[in-house]
Amino acid sequence: MIHDFNYRRATSIKEALSLLEKYKDDYKIICGGQSLLILMRQGLVAPENLIDIKKVKELDYIDYNPKTGLKIGAATTHREIEKSPLIKKNFPVLAEMEKNLASIQTRNWGTIGGNLAHGDPAGDPAPILIALNATVKMASIERDRILPLEDFFIDIFETALEEGELLTEIQVPILPKKTGIAYQKFNIIKNYLGMVSVAASVTLAEDSEKCTEARIVLGAAAAISLRAKEAEQMLIGEKIDAKLLENAGKKASEECDPVSDIHATETYRRVLVRVLTTRVTGKAWEQAKAAH
Amino acid sequence: MKKYTVINTPVHNIDGIAKITGRAKYTFDITLPRMLHGKILRSSYPHAEILDIDTSKAERLRGVKAVVTGKDTLGKKQGIWRRFKELCDEEILAGNKVRYIGEPVAAVAAIDEDTAEEALDLIEVKYNPLPAVFEPLEAIKEGAPQLHDQAERNINVTRHIEWGDVDEGFKKADYVREDWFRCSSQAHVCMETHCAVADYTPEGKLTVYTSTQSHYYIKVLLAEILGLRENDVRVISRYTGGGFGSKFELDSAQFCSSLLSMKLCQPIKIVLTREEEFTATKRRTPMFYYVRSGIKKDGTFLAKEARVFTEGGAYTAMGATALYLTGFFQSFPYVWPSYRFDGYRVYTNTAPTSAMRGFGAPQATFCAETQIDLIADELGIDPIEIRRKNAMYPGYEVPGQATIQSCGLDQCLDKIDEWIKSRGKLPAHRGIGIAAYGFMSGGIFNWFDTPYAFSSAIVQINIDGKVDLYVGSQDMGQGSNTTMALICAEELGVKFEDIRLHMGDTENCPVDLGAWGSRETLMQGNAVKMAASKAKQQILEFAVAKLTPNIVYDLDIKDGWIHLIARPERGLSYYDVVKEAIRGKDGQPIIARGHYTPHRKGMISPAYSFGVQAVEADVDPDTGKITLKNCVTAHDCGQVINPLGVKGQLEGAIAMAAGYGFTEDLPMDEGKILNPNLVDYMLLRATEMPETKVMEVETYEPEGPFGAKEAGEGLTNPTAGALGNAVFHAAGISIKNLPITPEKVLNALKEKEKK
Amino acid sequence: MEKKLLHLTINGEQHELYINPKKLLVEILRDELGLTGTKRGCNTGACGACTVLLDGAAVKSCSILAMQADGAEVTTVEGLAKGSKLTPLQRSFLDHGAFQCGFCASGMLLSATAFLREDPTPKDIKEGIQGNICRCTGYNSILRAIKAVAEGKYKEEGR
Repeated sequence: MIHDFNYRRATSIKEALSLLEKYKDDYKIICGGQSLLILMRQGLVAPENLIDIKKVKELDYIDYNPKTGLKIGAATTHREIEKSPLIKKNFPVLAEMEKNLASIQTRNWGTIGGNLAHGDPAGDPAPILIALNATVKMASIERDRILPLEDFFIDIFETALEEGELLTEIQVPILPKKTGIAYQKFNIIKNYLGMVSVAASVTLAEDSEKCTEARIVLGAAAAISLRAKEAEQMLIGEKIDAKLLENAGKKASEECDPVSDIHATETYRRVLVRVLTTRVTGKAWEQAKAAH
Repeated sequence: MKKYTVINTPVHNIDGIAKITGRAKYTFDITLPRMLHGKILRSSYPHAEILDIDTSKAERLRGVKAVVTGKDTLGKKQGIWRRFKELCDEEILAGNKVRYIGEPVAAVAAIDEDTAEEALDLIEVKYNPLPAVFEPLEAIKEGAPQLHDQAERNINVTRHIEWGDVDEGFKKADYVREDWFRCSSQAHVCMETHCAVADYTPEGKLTVYTSTQSHYYIKVLLAEILGLRENDVRVISRYTGGGFGSKFELDSAQFCSSLLSMKLCQPIKIVLTREEEFTATKRRTPMFYYVRSGIKKDGTFLAKEARVFTEGGAYTAMGATALYLTGFFQSFPYVWPSYRFDGYRVYTNTAPTSAMRGFGAPQATFCAETQIDLIADELGIDPIEIRRKNAMYPGYEVPGQATIQSCGLDQCLDKIDEWIKSRGKLPAHRGIGIAAYGFMSGGIFNWFDTPYAFSSAIVQINIDGKVDLYVGSQDMGQGSNTTMALICAEELGVKFEDIRLHMGDTENCPVDLGAWGSRETLMQGNAVKMAASKAKQQILEFAVAKLTPNIVYDLDIKDGWIHLIARPERGLSYYDVVKEAIRGKDGQPIIARGHYTPHRKGMISPAYSFGVQAVEADVDPDTGKITLKNCVTAHDCGQVINPLGVKGQLEGAIAMAAGYGFTEDLPMDEGKILNPNLVDYMLLRATEMPETKVMEVETYEPEGPFGAKEAGEGLTNPTAGALGNAVFHAAGISIKNLPITPEKVLNALKEKEKK
Repeated sequence: MEKKLLHLTINGEQHELYINPKKLLVEILRDELGLTGTKRGCNTGACGACTVLLDGAAVKSCSILAMQADGAEVTTVEGLAKGSKLTPLQRSFLDHGAFQCGFCASGMLLSATAFLREDPTPKDIKEGIQGNICRCTGYNSILRAIKAVAEGKYKEEGR
């Protein structure tokens, strides 16, 4: 059951930050609450003060600039991202990822910022955003700071957000030329319980011969979203082919640290990482070849 | 001329408008004045003695009105197999021993749910933990912890079925095959969890609103366990949000709310959480099966031997029936010249296993059909042909057990064969698997020991021609309300809209045993037909007097028109004659009663449905993931009464049975269920459903109303087997351990590669 | 804990309530206002039986604090039909037998209503009810019912 709390609502970023400062001893931020409320209903989280930022319109936006890229307000819902013409045109893989996240109902209310701040290693957005080289902006009453998303996650359900800090914006830079990007999640029931997911971006040289950059990010295969750096290194500077993709997959399956639980053993999760890495990186490569 | 006027037409569900406008009030929705909320404290030990329960702190919590424990009960054990006292082994609120994690030990009534929940934390129970045993094959070993004093080696029930000479049969066989299978458990996952609102008043009368499949059973069981007179208990269940076998036994919500209400003389509502629904209600019986078959090289079946150990959980519940039925349906739907079955239900310190749609037959069918495809493969015989060669047929006598009257199995095989051929060559990694089944239309054995007819009905005709139909049957979603109204309307010769159905209240409705074992259409249907027929005769008496036809002419009623059968244009309006009939009966409405109890119909059921199902599936060779593409079923339910209902039941059965085959499971650790929520428990959503196609094979079942048989439960039998066979044909692997997960598929593929 | 004032419009009717802010939207609808058409089937936001429309968008009312719906317009199943005039989806559900025990029906109807309002001719109908669990129907009858409306087979009855 949910324990009693003091409800405090903010309608602007400034108000939100001053509430965080005022109640910094014992607070939780609620926005979409799609993850938080489940924990509160089980009594696992019981803050004295609940600070509601759902009505902070300043945090709900999707901006795109052909030079600087995408800027998404932290309180933007998954559904807004999924349906945004700007995102469908310029970063369709993000719309695809959102479409495969939970249900329409959850996406209508849950937010991208809330999802990232929750720090669930099985979260859908993190791997693809990291593959896209995203950064996040955090604000407190004292300062703003920006962090690469891959440095934002510390451990299971633990992020770099400090007391009094609010995640305000997600920034996605423009993709380099000749870059392809792909993502896949493995589950038995569509959209739910992703056993493992892989996101990859592959950048090729102008003549489409060698790979100049590769980012392979594994989801639900470790305590946090994990860059399979050794697998990436196998591709960089090389001419990609099916054999290399297979080997990169094998390498990624060795680099990760998945758990065994009632849904899958560690061994099987490693197999999934291997298979998905090969498939997803291959797909990104195909896209890169066709890209400008 | 159409065969029937009303039945087999696509009518709206009789409760449809109430359900889709949010007006239907389920027990979940019921509130009464001064109602309190109850919560149940449950054991966290799988096996322990209760040394002491201190409820004083809980009682002192502000807002708590009462706390009850086993000490507040009459200490009676109850069970649904009342014919055998030793199988009535469950107290519900534990007395001095708990036998599974989740067993109720105390209950609290408070002003709101949160307070009641808080109070649970304040109840102090002193347990003396005992050694526990979780697997049936461990529990029967010498020296294993004993759950019940009277059950040596924890053997709860045994069953032996035999006919012919099995050993001779194996000697004569050209080919003998034996396989071991493990069939998993499954949760019902009714959308409405178990719940009850109990209201005891100072007159000494108890009213219980509850989500149930049998208000009659609940009334009788509550009266017994509470020491009340049977008819001082009233059970009301107008709408039940799903049952699937989980809701015809007495449960903790009903018992604890009644106990608390009797103490306080206030209404008490207890609603089980989804977690309690998973951990502390009954579930499908897991089975460890050994099956050996002896076949001639031309595919003729000669001898079958099966042995099963079922995981009983802590109490008998309906597990004895599951044991009987799995043994019987292990031979279905084929002619086995000799057959031998030995079944053992074993007590274990886990949540009791009981009835779930199919009642042991899905498990049996999975084993039987998986093995048949393996046999067919070894002998080089087509899977359809080997089944056709040995299929049951109308008139077949299962020796000493049953006579099959109507049976459309052969036609079902034809239709599936045709469909498979129409698919042509399949792409790589795709396979089609089939499974055949048969199922009961209600059971014959009176294990509940009821003195009443198995089903009864009352028809009352009013001055405006509107018909009050009183039935004891329970609609839990399977559509019996609509079906009964259709049967009544057809028999009486009136419109479907003329029927006003009364059900779900033991105070006003005649006895029917409830919605389980797929019995309502046949048994309640027969009772309704009898009542309607008798009422019709009373009306026709007056019509004869008005029409004065020659004595050789018979009268009938169709679509509200009373007429000479031979000269249908000569007649009278039913609505006019009814007025005169009532006047002729001293102003009394026309009333008639009907009833049905199967007599001299064998050991198991008065009639059997049959069918064949094909599942087309893809198997991803790299991940093992299974994707369902098509599911086609040809089935024989005799005469279809409610076509929308039958189609819906089939598609629902496919979702549930496919889930049993490849996604649903209840993994446990030391008696604790590890996935008690709707994310970790994976049932099919809309996105996993394949295209479905239903083909009716119409037969006429003499025992059923208008020739009808069951059509909701038998359809759950074949899918796991058909799915497994699809995987076999797609990937060359046979997995005999449910559910067929991607990981198991991948491991099997690896094994196959090694060879 | 300080109680809070909540203003909501539900099915076109305005309500003012004074509540414990920990109350979920579904609790206000069912327990305070007696609108029991919206159901609850789980405790983990997984089943969708509690789906309502909040400012036109389908949401799970068990996963939203009532206070977050302050100032919003909520539609529950009770607000779909106008008097005895059922919506096209409701009529299609009746014709197709798209419910059996009926417990998930209100959630399904609201998900489908929002889904078709957003896109009256969707390509993938399964997506529209992916967040709603049904244990009885196997979903296909519900999909047929929604498809029939999407194909224009049902017109709005005069309001």
